[in-house]
Formats: sequence, structure tokens, C-alpha cells
Amino acid sequence: MFVGYAAIQPFARRGTAVSSEAQDVRRAASAVVSSAERSESLFGERAELISQLWSLYEECSQQDWDGNDARPMSGVAAASVVEFIKVLPAGLSLPELAPEPDGAISLDWIVSKRRVFSISIGSSPRLAYSWLDGADSGHGVARFDGNAIPQRILEGIRSIVSHEHAAVRFA
Amino acid sequence: MLPSGLPDHVDDQENVSRFLTSSSQFNSTMVKPSAFLPNPIHRNASVFRIDNEPERLRKVWQETTSGERQLKGLAIVRVAEVRRVQLEILADEPPPAHANIEGWPWIESDPELQKARQKDLATQVASCAQLVLL
Repeated sequence: MFVGYAAIQPFARRGTAVSSEAQDVRRAASAVVSSAERSESLFGERAELISQLWSLYEECSQQDWDGNDARPMSGVAAASVVEFIKVLPAGLSLPELAPEPDGAISLDWIVSKRRVFSISIGSSPRLAYSWLDGADSGHGVARFDGNAIPQRILEGIRSIVSHEHAAVRFA
Repeated sequence: MLPSGLPDHVDDQENVSRFLTSSSQFNSTMVKPSAFLPNPIHRNASVFRIDNEPERLRKVWQETTSGERQLKGLAIVRVAEVRRVQLEILADEPPPAHANIEGWPWIESDPELQKARQKDLATQVASCAQLVLL
């Protein structure tokens, strides 16, 4: 069982707090646990990536994890990242994960310093993304419904990693 | 002149260092873009006007932060590269040699577009940064 998963289970399955904020946290934790339980049926690199996510969640779940007042990593964001990883098309290289100071989670496809595609997953279904391709850069927003990767994001990732054949990791 | 003895204006040719507290903020290729994103409360990204001097920066870290969190690395970037993407670096002492990367886009009506624009800038800055492991 993942360490981070174990850490968040108590938040999901017990508690008597009645404030709306506490209920939101419990709902988010439940979503994470539910996703984690479903992820147990995943194998290989996706399962490894989800395991890394829980470790990162545990590492960055406290306020000020960066020494500069960063917000704690969001449980809702973590649950969304699991959903995102699960629906990534087979054959597409998997991203690396990183914490962001507003509680969101960054998914990065890094081919080189000048070829990068990065998505932020936070508590909103609207995903912010940006890319760098040589001297060109850009950004956008796309809605993720939990069932399929938005086409614009998928095309952007493929464009960046298309010359990465030797490094492509098959899920 | 600032109390630290540094000039008020941060020169284009200076290098500034940003603390990295998670090994997930970098990989073998580069400092990841998220390492340069601004704090949502302060609306800036904290740096120190200290070049590649790990021991001095480690001491600054110990003096300016609480808890037992360990410093994992440094992201060092030339000021001119930050200004090239229309961001600014302004001195902000105390603590000595502290400065902030300012000028990030804030769009209250559309937080996700705001974040996308910030990521675009952070990615460009990160692509010019040097990683120093501690």
C-alpha cells in the first residue's frame, strides 16, 4: 500500500467536523482514496507514478513546504491527477510530477531545457498549460472532464515529445 | 546602498538563487518550471542576490526559515534572463541580499488563464536556470 495513501485514509473515513470546509476536505480525501483504490488495478509505470504522487502529497501537504508560505498540496488536485494519469493514451510518455506554491500539481514532459510541456492540475476542472519549443512558447486553458485528455493538450504533448523516440516510456 | 552593502538596483549581470526544497522541483535535465512560480499570497517569487555559493546560501536558509526542512538544491538564474520575459527583480531587504521576482500576471476573473500565463513565463525562466544540487 502506498505510504501517502495510508496517510490520507483517516481523513477520508472518519471525522466529526461539521464545517463546510472540513466536509470539503473529507470529500476530497475520499476522492483520493477512492482513486487510489481503483489505481491498484493499474500496473507498471502508471502505478509507479501514482505511488510517486502519494509520496509527493505527503511531502507537500503542510503549509510552507517550500519555506516561502506555499499552500499545502490539494487533495482534490491529487485525485484529479490520478484520473488524468489513468486516461493518458497508451504509448504516450508519462509526465514527471512537481508541487506548485498554490497547492496545485504540475505534470511535466521535459525533453530538454528548450522542449517542455507543463500542465497544472488544481481544484478546478479547467487546466492551465504551457509549452516551450525552442524559441517559441505559449499557454492555454482546457477543460478536463475526467474521461479523456483534452485534445489541445494531447496534441501539445505529442508535439513536444515527438522527437523523443528513444526516451518514450510505454505504459 | 542597501543595509547589506548591495546596490538598490539589481543589475542585469547579477545571478540570483532560488531555494529548492523538494527533489521533485528538478530532474537531471533542468529546474522544473514550477520552481519559479510565484507565491499566491505574496504574488512574487523569492530569490537571493547570491551567486553559486552553496555554503553561504545554506546558512541563509537556516537563518531565514523555521522547522527541519532540508534544502535540496538551488536554481541560479541571470537577472537579464528574468527581465527578458518582462518580469522584474526588485531588492527586498531584510533579510540581507533578498529580492523578489515581480511583475507576474494576475487575472482575478480567470485564475486558470492567470496560471497559464504564469507557467509560460516560469518555463522560460527555468529554461535558463542552472541547477546546483546540495
